[in-house]
Amino acid sequence: MITKEELQHASKVLGREPTNTELGMLDVLWSEHCSYKSSKRWFYLFKTTADNVALGIGEGAGLIDIGGGYYVGVAMESHNHPSQIDPYNGAATGVGGIIRDVISQGCKAVGLMNCLRFGHLDKPHNAYLIENVVRGISEYGNSVGIPVVGGEIEFDDSYDENCLVNVVCVGYVKPEKVVRSSARTPGHHLVMFGSSTGRDGIAGVSFASETFSDEEEENRGAIQIGDPLAKKVVIDTLTELIEEELLDGLQDFGGGGMTSAAGELARAGGTGVEIDLEKVPLREEMDPSEIVISESQERMLAIVAPENLDRVILLLEKNDTPHAVIGKVTDDGHYTVRYEGEVLARLPISLLVDGFPVPERVEGKIPAQTDSITWFKEPEDYCEAVLNLLRSPNICDRSWVYSQYDQHVQTNTVVDLGENAGVLEFPNGRLLAFTSDCNSFWCSLDPQTGTANSAAESLRNIVSMGARPLFIADCLNFGNPERPESYAQFVESVRGLGRFSHDFDIPIIGGNVSLYNEAVVDGQNRRINPTPQIMIAGIFNQGFTPIKRNLVTPWANIFLVGETFPDLNGSEYQRMVIGEVKGEPPKYRPNWEKRSMNVILEAHERGLIRSCNNVGRGGVAVALMKMAMKSEYGFKLNMDYIPGTVNSMAQALFSETSSRYLAEVTESNQPEFLELVEKHDTMVCELGLTTTKPVADFSRFSISMDNARKAFTEGLSRFLE
Amino acid sequence: MSIAVIRFPGTNNEDDVLKALGKIPDANPYLVPSRKGLAGLKDADAVVIPGGFSYGDYLRAGAVASVEVIVEGIRDLAEDGKPVLGICNGFQILAEMGLLPGVLLPNDSSRFICKWIYLKVCETNSIFSENLENAVLRLPIAHAEGNYFCSREQLEALRDEQRIPFRYCDSHGETSTESNPNGSLENIAGVTNQRGNVLGLMPHPERASRQILGSSDGLLILENFVRAIK
Repeated sequence: MITKEELQHASKVLGREPTNTELGMLDVLWSEHCSYKSSKRWFYLFKTTADNVALGIGEGAGLIDIGGGYYVGVAMESHNHPSQIDPYNGAATGVGGIIRDVISQGCKAVGLMNCLRFGHLDKPHNAYLIENVVRGISEYGNSVGIPVVGGEIEFDDSYDENCLVNVVCVGYVKPEKVVRSSARTPGHHLVMFGSSTGRDGIAGVSFASETFSDEEEENRGAIQIGDPLAKKVVIDTLTELIEEELLDGLQDFGGGGMTSAAGELARAGGTGVEIDLEKVPLREEMDPSEIVISESQERMLAIVAPENLDRVILLLEKNDTPHAVIGKVTDDGHYTVRYEGEVLARLPISLLVDGFPVPERVEGKIPAQTDSITWFKEPEDYCEAVLNLLRSPNICDRSWVYSQYDQHVQTNTVVDLGENAGVLEFPNGRLLAFTSDCNSFWCSLDPQTGTANSAAESLRNIVSMGARPLFIADCLNFGNPERPESYAQFVESVRGLGRFSHDFDIPIIGGNVSLYNEAVVDGQNRRINPTPQIMIAGIFNQGFTPIKRNLVTPWANIFLVGETFPDLNGSEYQRMVIGEVKGEPPKYRPNWEKRSMNVILEAHERGLIRSCNNVGRGGVAVALMKMAMKSEYGFKLNMDYIPGTVNSMAQALFSETSSRYLAEVTESNQPEFLELVEKHDTMVCELGLTTTKPVADFSRFSISMDNARKAFTEGLSRFLE
Repeated sequence: MSIAVIRFPGTNNEDDVLKALGKIPDANPYLVPSRKGLAGLKDADAVVIPGGFSYGDYLRAGAVASVEVIVEGIRDLAEDGKPVLGICNGFQILAEMGLLPGVLLPNDSSRFICKWIYLKVCETNSIFSENLENAVLRLPIAHAEGNYFCSREQLEALRDEQRIPFRYCDSHGETSTESNPNGSLENIAGVTNQRGNVLGLMPHPERASRQILGSSDGLLILENFVRAIK
């Protein structure tokens, strides 16, 4: 809710007390969710510009030029709070909202991703949440006809009271068809269309900007309800409106409803708006003050020049799309709301949209961690240790989840889910890879390093397939910024992402911040792990076929590129052995990361690598098993020499040191590959050979591929069947 | 060869079907929004009902679409012997219309399933499976209600009249229980009408129409469909 200081500030600027309607409007637009009042001050740390950035952070979607007359659009957002209360509708409308962000820029939506966090599935409530979140995403996205091309999931107790649902939508648009989110010309009409307005999602953003109390159920009315059929009709209609270039501006009704949509349009255009609420098509009786802040789904707000109005109305009628002309763009710099002639609100745009008093936030101190690994011991049974890692919900097969998502609709999907990244073909013939990553365990130990390394892991995902990084989108999920320790985690994490974006020269073109992911349970404050989700898109050279991770040739060499250190703190192995993570997580080493990236990218360009995987969670052991389990082959290792400083079998197998890749290289390509490694001043070792026998032979122990697959596939399904 | 590709509100594979058919010489596919009614089918030599979620699949998959006015035009074309292909939701609509026997029940997992499957081409007297004798085709499925079921009498008739051109199988062509993705009776993935000019098919041939997408096997089925247009 709006604070006392904020109310005083508003009254001072207005020279009077705000009306009830105005209070409701200020409350939603000054919420953390809409205003970014605790977070925006740090965005200067990000690299946001580059020659190919056509539209950076600030509107519905970021746009990047991929050549050949096409821009790619991306938007990323959270829908955490609604999904915790009503997982099915919360997740579905999260997908609905992110699609609207992309299409409101004029884009055709061509791909979806989702990044999820839940508590452990042995608690029935968490199983209920994942079942319904996945069903919500699946039924909505599948119905609208947009394929899911990527995503990830992690499980930890810290998400018991706050599950996370982060969604991404990508699209494309020709530069001349881009629609901006601004109302530039006074006298133009405000046309809303898509769906009628109801009492669902009243002030959803305000509720999303507070921590949960024990009375969660009370907030059910703040959840929006999705309607994918209406969305599909909106998309079809919009395609026609954009094709004929009939729209002068466009914004979707998202968080903050009409207040936000029209307010943002006016601010961007330097104009004002006036709206007559009685013209809004309603689906139930509503108070005027509710109409301005309702977050009913599937609604769009278009700015239409008078000469185009008849044609727009005709197309809307032809498609049976609910619509109404609700007001006009003005030149008075105010947001005026009338109901049957009576003025209910008249607020300066400058006050409403970003005139809030900037709140003071205190950055606490992040506890220092030790690099000691005194807890470490070799497993008694290596075979069992590897199988347990493969079975871990944070590593295992996710097909239970993604087989519920349509991955092929629109017929652009070149690489399905279950690989390092999903790959889509764009109309200019270019292939783009999409991935997202976040290791929240690393981030909980050291938010800055953990965030930078999570981004590096995303990067390795696309590089291992042969793509060069193109852009970043992020969704930063943290606790209550009014608490110094939560705020410190957020700020440190932004520093980490900022560093990474500059180190690797990748622009950040879209994102979202979700704070207040905390809950009070029995008087105890419970906060999520810092969870900065980092999505990276990459582009392939023309004519290049993306390289997957499954082994493809017998008797080929498996190389480990990069050095390995005893980075066991924060690892999945540590969690498995002592039941928690502690200590300093793996270090972020941008220079090493770049060197191994360059080896892999150049080797791909020369066609030297048959299959490739990034070394991440679970270390070399898990990365190798993932390569073998998807193939017909096995491998035989010789681990006598591993570059770096590990001094035991388990350290070598389970360390999560960053900047490492596994590459399958045939005998004839080996000399050229090794030359490349030397050229880029990187370390490498020949870990072993691929074999025709489906056995993972680690020299000291071996695992049959059938046993490995069984462990891998039962990881999630054992809780969900 | 004018091929009407029908779009009901909520249909979402129409562009994919148009794109795939567009690659076949002599095929002239065009979009017909269902609101155009009978007039939309005036020049059609054949019809495709693509997949998606017509009318949101509210009530039951295909149920609302099956009572639209344009559906009577599709029925007339089918009775004239013109080729009619229903893919996924299109199959569900054809079954709801009664043009094809049986029903598509919810998958036995009770969840939506998207995955690559193999199809065994079984009978070869169908226009849709001509020249594909005993082939094993790789296509994707994506549906929540694809579990084919019909009465014993209907099943016997389908068998006797060789009206089951496609069954789910494994990569070697074995129609095992493990290779049945949704619980369909006898691994049935597609059936035809008695006359043989109407095919309902759960897998998506248009999604397997280019090698870069993982397979171009679906194009073989679409080519047969186009060749059958006289």
